[in-house]
Amino acid sequence: MRRPVSLYGLTFSLPLLIWQLLFFVFPLVFLIALSFWTVRNFRMQADFDTVNWTTMYGRAIFWQAYGTTLALAAGAAVLTSLLAFPVAYAIAFKLSDRARRWAIMLMVIPFFTSYLVRVYSWQVFLSDAGLINVMLGWVGLGPYGLLNTPGATLLGFVTLAFPLVVLLQLFSLIFIDRTLIEAAHNMRCGRLRTVFAVVIPSARVGLVIAALFAFILSFGDFVSPIYLGGGDPTTLSILITDTTKSGQQWPRAAVIALTMIVTLMVVAFLSIRFAYRGRK
Amino acid sequence: MTQDPTQDPLVTFDGVAKRFGSYTAVQKMDLQIHQGEFLAIMGSSGCGKTTTLRMLAGLEAPSEGVIRLSGKPINDLPSWSRDTPMVWQSLALFPFLSVIENVEFALKMRGMGRAERRARAEQWLDRMGIAEFADRNISQLSGGQRQRVALARSLVVEPQILLLDEPLSALDAALKVRMQSVLKTLQRETGITFVYVTHSQSEAFSMADRVVIMSRGKIEQIGTPQEIYRAPRTSFVADFLGSSNIFPGQLTRDGQGQPIIATPSGDFALPAGNTLGIAGQSASLTVLDTRMQIHLQPPGDARNSVAARMIGEEFVGATATIYFETEDGREIRVQKAHEDLADLSLAIGKPFHLSWSPADGHLVSE
Repeated sequence: MRRPVSLYGLTFSLPLLIWQLLFFVFPLVFLIALSFWTVRNFRMQADFDTVNWTTMYGRAIFWQAYGTTLALAAGAAVLTSLLAFPVAYAIAFKLSDRARRWAIMLMVIPFFTSYLVRVYSWQVFLSDAGLINVMLGWVGLGPYGLLNTPGATLLGFVTLAFPLVVLLQLFSLIFIDRTLIEAAHNMRCGRLRTVFAVVIPSARVGLVIAALFAFILSFGDFVSPIYLGGGDPTTLSILITDTTKSGQQWPRAAVIALTMIVTLMVVAFLSIRFAYRGRK
Repeated sequence: MTQDPTQDPLVTFDGVAKRFGSYTAVQKMDLQIHQGEFLAIMGSSGCGKTTTLRMLAGLEAPSEGVIRLSGKPINDLPSWSRDTPMVWQSLALFPFLSVIENVEFALKMRGMGRAERRARAEQWLDRMGIAEFADRNISQLSGGQRQRVALARSLVVEPQILLLDEPLSALDAALKVRMQSVLKTLQRETGITFVYVTHSQSEAFSMADRVVIMSRGKIEQIGTPQEIYRAPRTSFVADFLGSSNIFPGQLTRDGQGQPIIATPSGDFALPAGNTLGIAGQSASLTVLDTRMQIHLQPPGDARNSVAARMIGEEFVGATATIYFETEDGREIRVQKAHEDLADLSLAIGKPFHLSWSPADGHLVSE
């Protein structure tokens, strides 16, 4: 039987519903429509033509950028997860309750500062005349071209995702039943082995979701590939700006954006399915 | 019951104490656990029984004293280097592993090969009657089935000793009784030493060969269930068991020089050979509620007796528990079969005389 919609419930759910319609569903529908429009003499015309899709999907640069973005985002997800885990583990299991509250606060502080500022500050470290090369110069090394490399882009992604990943991992680790860890020790499972045999499987959902967030943040990021990666190799976000700038090709940019949205949805679906695999 | 007193004890607690900051959970404890016995450690919450068990498992380090397993000190041995499997109150089964993977876990940690450990695990699942659930998730099992998985998981390594921390407390009454007999049978068949921590007297007394009663971090009494039931050593134990009436008083002598105890409810003759010490000392007389008689008139013989008013009654099965209050305000329970009560025409507020033979009294220290 269907429950009648109450006015009370509606009052509270309506704003969210309107918000979602205005700023998510309508733009998405518009984006889909836009991808079938055409551009004549630098002017867009409402149309239904698949030319944008065939053009974009027929270009090698598109697939190169797609592969690059996917690889960098996946790399960032793995790297950030690996770097964040020891930190989250230490905060969850090694600190006192008081110290843990401080650590959580320190992890929140990066959200107060602009990501752009944090990326610029990496330039200070990485440029040819930057801190790292100067210090290497003292011992007669370098300078090395650290800036404008895929490695620098990756570093930017890690900077972007690290605090969030630590927090997400931390919250899944804190809620692990401590008796499970004791039970493992009780059955001759040493400390390190317990991390792999009990802690990680227990926190799997949270760990996968943390990595997924790192992937999502990195996949759509424009700042790090431009200011640390130097725009080479091209990522999908850079390709979007290039496409819009060259000849008002908004419809082609819509094709890239939709491809990215679908990719993110597929990745999110697959990782959540993996996270909950074997659970009832 | 098969313990041999000449054999060295499996576990020895030698002056073991455990403090958490300023709180003392266990005070200087001496305890010996024999090979093959079923030992229950009983007490109310916070008495230190679980801490004692956790120290044995290596999950807490003693602040003082030495714990020995088969004669060897194990204080500095981390829990993953001990063979002291434990069954938790929450069971602590791994929800991310299947039933059989849970049972295999300890064998895997010992480096046993896949085929062999699967065979051993299957054998134990079969023995516990849950072979058909081998590939299920833990969340798909009932409480009793989970209990059996937890037991199989601990017993699969065929240890010398098994530690159990209130494993039955989450079960309903009927299942609890069934699991008690499962546990007792398992212990008898395997000959593994069981150390069973519980707050439940019925669990401890129905399964254990010996019972340790703890209160506020100290051992109050160690003995067989019969010994403790018949002869509680302290008034705490008598009170904790709840089946004795307790009369606190002073030891003294009557006009003929016979030892008696003077209590606010009256002077009572003592059982022969059961004088704790010297006249003037404080002590309590305990009398089991099943050993008391109810009369309409004072018995007028050598029996101890006290006048009391009936204040209530309770019927459980074939026995009735009748509550009385003495003139000095002490509550007394008496247990009787229904047929023994027919002639008394019980009524709330009616005066009666309660009596017991001096031989049924038992003297305890404060």
